[in-house]
Amino acid sequence: MAMMRYAEALNLALHEEMKRDPRVFLFGEDVGRYGGVFKVSKGLMETFGDSRVRDTPISEQALTAMAVSAAMAGTRPILEIMYADFIPLSLDALVNQASVFSYLWEAHVQIPFVLRTQGGGGVGTGAQHAKSLDSFLTHIPGIKVVAPTTPADARGLLKSAIRDPGPVVFLEHKLLYNTRGDVPEGDELVPIGKARTVCQGTDVSIFASSKMVLEAEAAALELAKEGISADVVDLRTLRPLDLNALKASIAKTHHAVVVNEGWTFCGYAAELSATIMDHCFDDLDAPVARVAMPDMPIPYAETLESAVIPNAARIAAAARTTLA
Amino acid sequence: MATPITVVSAGGEYMESVVVLEWTAAVGDRVAAGDPLVTVETAKAATEIPAPCEGILSAILAPPGSEVPLSSVLGFVGKDVDDTRSEVEEERTAEGPPPVPLPARDPGASALPGPDLPSGRILASPAARYAAKRLGVALSTVPASSPTGRIKLRDLDAASQAAAAAYARAPADDHAPLRVVASGSGNAPPIVMIHGFGADADSWYPLESRLNRTQRILRIELPNHGGSPKRRVRDFSSLARDIRQAFDDLRLERAHLVGHSLGGACALALADIRPRQIASLALIAPGGLGPVINARFIEGMARATQPASLRPWLRMMVSDDTLISDEFVAAAMFARRDPALRQAQQHMAQDLFPDGTVGFNLNAAMNRLTCPTTIIWGREDEIIPWKDALNAPGRVGLHLFEKTGHVPHLERPEVVLDVLSTVFNKKG
Repeated sequence: MAMMRYAEALNLALHEEMKRDPRVFLFGEDVGRYGGVFKVSKGLMETFGDSRVRDTPISEQALTAMAVSAAMAGTRPILEIMYADFIPLSLDALVNQASVFSYLWEAHVQIPFVLRTQGGGGVGTGAQHAKSLDSFLTHIPGIKVVAPTTPADARGLLKSAIRDPGPVVFLEHKLLYNTRGDVPEGDELVPIGKARTVCQGTDVSIFASSKMVLEAEAAALELAKEGISADVVDLRTLRPLDLNALKASIAKTHHAVVVNEGWTFCGYAAELSATIMDHCFDDLDAPVARVAMPDMPIPYAETLESAVIPNAARIAAAARTTLA
Repeated sequence: MATPITVVSAGGEYMESVVVLEWTAAVGDRVAAGDPLVTVETAKAATEIPAPCEGILSAILAPPGSEVPLSSVLGFVGKDVDDTRSEVEEERTAEGPPPVPLPARDPGASALPGPDLPSGRILASPAARYAAKRLGVALSTVPASSPTGRIKLRDLDAASQAAAAAYARAPADDHAPLRVVASGSGNAPPIVMIHGFGADADSWYPLESRLNRTQRILRIELPNHGGSPKRRVRDFSSLARDIRQAFDDLRLERAHLVGHSLGGACALALADIRPRQIASLALIAPGGLGPVINARFIEGMARATQPASLRPWLRMMVSDDTLISDEFVAAAMFARRDPALRQAQQHMAQDLFPDGTVGFNLNAAMNRLTCPTTIIWGREDEIIPWKDALNAPGRVGLHLFEKTGHVPHLERPEVVLDVLSTVFNKKG
């Protein structure tokens, strides 16, 4: 075990995987000489040279299509899109290329590529640099989407994503990069598609991912003071969803709160809610409570921003409501 | 209809509650839309709430000094004071004991729903509804403790809650694959066999031991049976989906399908959804062609905990009692020694055969079949009436055996084999 920051854990995974597999290469805006705006790719260019770590112009659309083509040509590209807010520029390559090529050519073609990006708000970066667009990505069949919360999961899932035979979108959060945690030694992988129980509880299930897991944990502590025992589940992978973890938790608690930092309407939390309704209806003792971003642009002013981003207080309030 | 006076937002601050400072009008006063009506205090400022419309201030629910959650109703403006009575009552009941701090009301937070129901319908959560149904508790006799008015699990007695807990058993196993026992070898398309309720892959021994010399045999075990995972089987379609998944996982280009009793129903459903992969279909005393099933048998089988209580039910399956020797009974009981398996089968029986009736009908699927299909049945079947076979269309072959019960392959393996080999060699 070694204590490290989330960004360092990602950096470690990149070093390890690039060393392990010469086909792996990294490209994106400012990932090379500058080491990435969040320092995730620090030192990689020095270690692996400028042919395997490439700085590119700012053109997400071209970059994503390049990643897909490079994957088809037999390499294993990792593309960094600096802000998830610009994922819409990547969507054509994801929706019409990466996700369907294997299908169209009857599995003769594999697209092993990882798109790393970071989203989320909380530091006053405004309406164009603070969004969580999880549902844009999880809507696409054929694309896996992971969103780790802890440094250990960040490293283990990034390694799994790089080794995955298909396209994986890797969602980071700007407020997680400096969080610390233990990271296991050795070549420890975290499987894609498996949730993690953060804390065991019997009264209400809280399902969250990425930064929202930390809020859910804080909510669980708050609720515990009132004698409410919350079962907090970190989804880790948004698609494919770990249905068994959902079902096992709700079978215990009969109450569910679903949390996502993205917009409410047609959002990822809505998908969770519908999935729970599909699979756990008779186990439910109250309507599923949804905590997500109000349907509006994210305000620049931090006081206003903090009023709209889902937080522990709102999660706890939703839990109380569902238990009432 | 009176219009509620609410605090929608308080000075842009993120607040959970406000304190009411002052009302500028008394109940019965006439107010104009936009008139400042009530002053509330937030963390940093006092805010005036205007009248939402013109009318009479007909009720004050939050007197000065009270702290109320954001978005709660402070009072009403109506045509006159009486106009408001029902809304006030509703608000008072909705408040309930101790007030729950509500989150800011935005589309992201779920508020207390205040359900809008047609009169007469009892409001209960799905889990409470299920538990009550299983235990035969009339929901109309159960008082609701929730401010939503919804009957929840906690409102039912302990027995019903236990039933609900049992119902939610072992969900972690939900996606584990069914067990498939493979044997034999050969180049012909393999034979896929699906056993009946309460049995397992071993029940095919009389046929399997003879067929395995020339053909590959894959015996699928139903959920909650044999070595397959235990899980809730909500209804027949979910069982059929399970079987389809197990079949798909085998990745067979083409296979002969043999099913017995409930397994016959599964085989029929599978042939219906995977027609191109099914070379032939043999149904032995299949379920799903009529509504009647011997509920006492199903119940008794699933419940039996010792050879003495199992023996009579096993005897009911056959025409010739002497087949059911002590050794046979002991072996059958040994296969059913796991109490969790027996309990899972009891639940499964309740879900598939509610009130002792076959809860699914496969005659339409039968009519759609195009592969060579044969039904084999014993005329002394006491579990499912053999006359159900007469519902099958004319193109389906029918073999009815005298002095034979529900398990022809146990009582007359040789003749059943003869029939099967003819079926396997037919061209579709």
